[in-house]
Amino acid sequence: MKKILFIFTLAFVTTSVNANSLLIKNVDVYKSSGMESNTNVLIKNGEIVAISKRIYETADRDIDGSGKSLTPGLFNSHTHIGAVEVSAIGPTVDYYSDNDSVTVALKIAEAFNPNSTLIPHNRTHGLTHALMIPESSTHLFSGQVALVQLGLNPGVIHDSLAIAVDFTEHGFDLSGSSRAAALVELRQALDDAMDFSRNKKSALAGDHRDYELSYADLAALESVVNGSKPLLVHTNRASDIRNILKLAKEFQLNLILSSVMEGWMVADEIAAAGVPVIIDPINNLPSSYETLGARLDNAKLLSDAGVKLLFTNTSRSTSHNAYLVRQAAGNAVANGLDKTVAIAAMTSNPAQLFDAPVSGDIAVGEIADLVLWGGDPLELTSEAELVMINGEIVPMESRSLQLRDRYFKRLQP
Amino acid sequence: MNRTFLTNAFIVALLSVAGCAEQNNPTVEITLPNKNPFPSTYTVPDNTPFAILNANVLTGDGLELTNTDIVISQGKISAMGNDLEIQAETQSIDAKGKWITPGLIDVHSHMGVYPAPSTSNHSDGNEMTSPVTAEVWAEHSVWPEDPQFEKALAGGVTTVQILPGSGNLIGGRGVTLKNIPSITVQGMKFPGAPYSLKMACGENPKRVYGSRNTLPSTRMGNMAGYRKAWIQATEYKKSWDEYVADSAERSLSNTPTRNLRLETLAGVLEGDIRVHNHCYKVDEMAQMIDMSKEFGYEIAAFHHAVEGYKAAPMLAEEGICGVMWADWWGFKQEAYDMVRENIALVDYAKACAVIHSDDPIQIQRLNQEIAKAMSAGNRMGLDISPAKAIRWGTYNAAKSLGLEDQIGSLAVGKNADIVLWTEHPLSVYSHASKVWIDGDLRFDRNDKSLQPTSDFNLGIIKAGAVRP
Repeated sequence: MKKILFIFTLAFVTTSVNANSLLIKNVDVYKSSGMESNTNVLIKNGEIVAISKRIYETADRDIDGSGKSLTPGLFNSHTHIGAVEVSAIGPTVDYYSDNDSVTVALKIAEAFNPNSTLIPHNRTHGLTHALMIPESSTHLFSGQVALVQLGLNPGVIHDSLAIAVDFTEHGFDLSGSSRAAALVELRQALDDAMDFSRNKKSALAGDHRDYELSYADLAALESVVNGSKPLLVHTNRASDIRNILKLAKEFQLNLILSSVMEGWMVADEIAAAGVPVIIDPINNLPSSYETLGARLDNAKLLSDAGVKLLFTNTSRSTSHNAYLVRQAAGNAVANGLDKTVAIAAMTSNPAQLFDAPVSGDIAVGEIADLVLWGGDPLELTSEAELVMINGEIVPMESRSLQLRDRYFKRLQP
Repeated sequence: MNRTFLTNAFIVALLSVAGCAEQNNPTVEITLPNKNPFPSTYTVPDNTPFAILNANVLTGDGLELTNTDIVISQGKISAMGNDLEIQAETQSIDAKGKWITPGLIDVHSHMGVYPAPSTSNHSDGNEMTSPVTAEVWAEHSVWPEDPQFEKALAGGVTTVQILPGSGNLIGGRGVTLKNIPSITVQGMKFPGAPYSLKMACGENPKRVYGSRNTLPSTRMGNMAGYRKAWIQATEYKKSWDEYVADSAERSLSNTPTRNLRLETLAGVLEGDIRVHNHCYKVDEMAQMIDMSKEFGYEIAAFHHAVEGYKAAPMLAEEGICGVMWADWWGFKQEAYDMVRENIALVDYAKACAVIHSDDPIQIQRLNQEIAKAMSAGNRMGLDISPAKAIRWGTYNAAKSLGLEDQIGSLAVGKNADIVLWTEHPLSVYSHASKVWIDGDLRFDRNDKSLQPTSDFNLGIIKAGAVRP
C-alpha cells in the first residue's frame, strides 16, 4: 500500500511534506450531512485540507482508520465543568450562589478553573467543548451561560451566551412554591428590564422607581428583552413549556428550552416557535410530578416534529463525565432517533447555536476539532483514540489514568 | 441448634400455659424468634415447557456458546446444548443470530424505598434517627407500585437487592426481590434468599450525625459506633445461645428479651445475614476487614468500591466482592480516585467484581455499564471478552447475594431467568427483547400485553400505554 501510494505521489507530483500533517486513512467520517464511509482525511497545521477516497499526499503521520470512525469533537450543552471539582465540597462548587442579591448578573465563566481535573478526564474521551450553565439557588434567574473549550489551554470562549432561568419545581420553590407566582415574577422581571432599559440614566441616578432586581441584574437582562441574547429556560411539564412559549412570544424573546421532559407532548408548538431544546434523552422516569410524561423517545418525537436538538446527560454525572453525552446520543438512536441527527445534537447544532470557534462539522477548510473512535462512534466499546481540539492533538493524560497506571504496576506478580 | 418456629398466637398460648407450671421445667419448649415473619408468597408460575433454539449465549459465568438450544421446564433450565432433540409438542423460539444472557442482577438498588416520583411521602430509604438502625428492614419501606421496577425489567434486570440508604453506620436489612409486578412486597421476595445488612463507611454517616453533634462526626467515631454495636450483638447472641444450650436452667422467666436491632446483628454473627458494606476507600475497607475478624463475621461485599483497584489483592484474599460503578466519580471526596478500569482491574486480580447501579436510570442499562467497564479494561490491554464481562452483572452479582447456585448463569438446573436481546447485549443499540423470570415470560418488547405498568401510570400516561 505504501509503495503504491509512493508511486502515485511521484506520478502526480503532489508531494508535500508538511511539518504538522496527519493523514487518517480508510475511516468512516460522520459529517453533519451524513456518514461518508471508508475515506481519507488530511489535516495540515490543524486544518482539514482534504477529505477524499483518493489522497496521494504523504503526511508526517499516518493513522490507519480501518473499522474506525471520525466525528466532530463533542459538545455537552449543560455542564458545570470548571465550576466544580468535588460536588460535596462546597468551596469547590461555584455554579450557584446563595447570595440572593446576585441572580441574572452571576457569570459562571468568572469561576472557570482551567486546571480542573475534570477537563483532561473529559477531553481524553472526546469532549472538546461544554456549556457552563449556572443553577438557581435563591431566585428563578440562575445567571449567565458560558461556552468553554477544553483544549491544551482550556478557556472561556463566550462568557455570556444566554441568561438561564429555572422554571422547574425547584425554581417554583424559590418563588413561593407556585408556578403561577413564578410566572408573575418572571414577567415582572422582564417588564422591569424593559423599563430599566428605557430609563437607565434616571434609574441609575436614583430618580426612577424601585426594582425588585438589582441594577446589575437588570443590566444583564437588558440584552434578553431587546432580543439580542437568548433566555435559556429549564422547564419540564407540558403546560409550563406552553407558558414559557407564550411569554417568549409576548416579549419577543429569543428562547432556548432545556430539559423539557414532557416536550414531546407539545413538540409541534416548540417546532412552530423555532425554539431549540437542550435535552438528556436518557431521562425517562416520572421522578417528579412535572415529569410524569417522561419517555425514552422524547428526542425522536421532538426531532420528528422539527425541533432542533442539543444533547446533555444531566440525569447522570453532568460535569464529571460530561463526555457521556455520547451514551445519551447512542440511547436516543436506540430509541428511534436518526444517527446523523443524534451526532449533530452534540456537535454541529451546539457549535452553531453557541457561535463556537469550530464548526462542529468535518469539512475541508474547517479547523480540526474531532475524535477518532475505535469503532462505531456511539458504541460504548469504541474508545477515543485521537482527540483534536481546535486544531491541536491533546495528550491522552489525566489524573485518572495516572492512578490506573500506578496501581496496575502494583497488581503485577 | 434446635429451633421451633411457632406462630405468634401459639407462642402466647404456650407462655400462658407454661406460666402456671413449675419453674425450671426441663420440658419447656424453646420458642426462638421467628426468623421469617414476612415470608415470600412468590411461587413459580406453572408454564408449559418451551425451548429457545440456536441462540448465541453468554452463559453468565464466563463462557460464550454459539448455536445453542435451551429447554425450560418448571421454571428451570432442564437441558442445554447443541442440536438438542426437542419434542415436537414443545413450543420453541428460534433465536438464530440473537444473543441471550442470564437475567441481569442489580445488587444495589433503592427502587421501592426511594420510588418515583421522588417525594417526601415515599422517601423511605434512610432511617436517619440513630446511627445504628439494624432493626429496620428495607422490605417494610418498599412500594411495590414504584414505576421504576418495570423500567428495570425492560432493561433485562430480573433480580434486585433493595438496600436501605447509607446515612447510618448500620442502616438495616436489605432484601432480595424478583423483579415482577406484585401488589405486595412479599409477592416479590426471592424465596429463601439470605437477608443482607447494610453498613456504611466514610463520609455519609459522619456527615449526618456530625451535623447533629452526635457520634459519629469523624471516621474514628464511625469505627467506635460499629464496634459498640458488635459488642452488644455479641452479648445478645451469647444470652440466647446460653438459653438454648442450657436446658436445665431454661425457663420462661429467664427467656432473653427480644431486641430487633441486636437480633439482626446476631444474625450476621451467626452467618445467616450477609454484610453488604458501602465503602469507597481502600484504607477504610482494610479497617472493616479487621473489625469483621475482631467480631467473627464475614463481609460479602464492599459497595461503591471506587478504590476497588487499590484493594483488589485484599478483596481476592478475603473472598469479598467489590461492587462498583463503571465510571461515576467526583460527587464526594471519597469518590475522587475513580478509574474507568476499576472493575476490570478487580477482575484482573481474581477478586469477585460486580457492577451495580444504585440508580433508577442506570439500572435500565446495566449492559451498557458493563460494556463501558469492559472497554476501559480492553483499552489498557486486559483482553476482556463479553463472556467474561457479563459475569459482573450475572454470576458474580449472584455470588455476592449467596444465590449463585440458583441464578446468575445459564446451566442445567439453574432458574430460567433469561434475557433475549435485540442486538449484541453489550451494544448501545441493544434492547431486552424478551425477559423470562423462572421460565415465565415477564416482558416482551413486541407485545404490549407483556409490558407491565404500575397502577401509578394509569390515567397519567395514556391509559394502558407503557412508558418507553
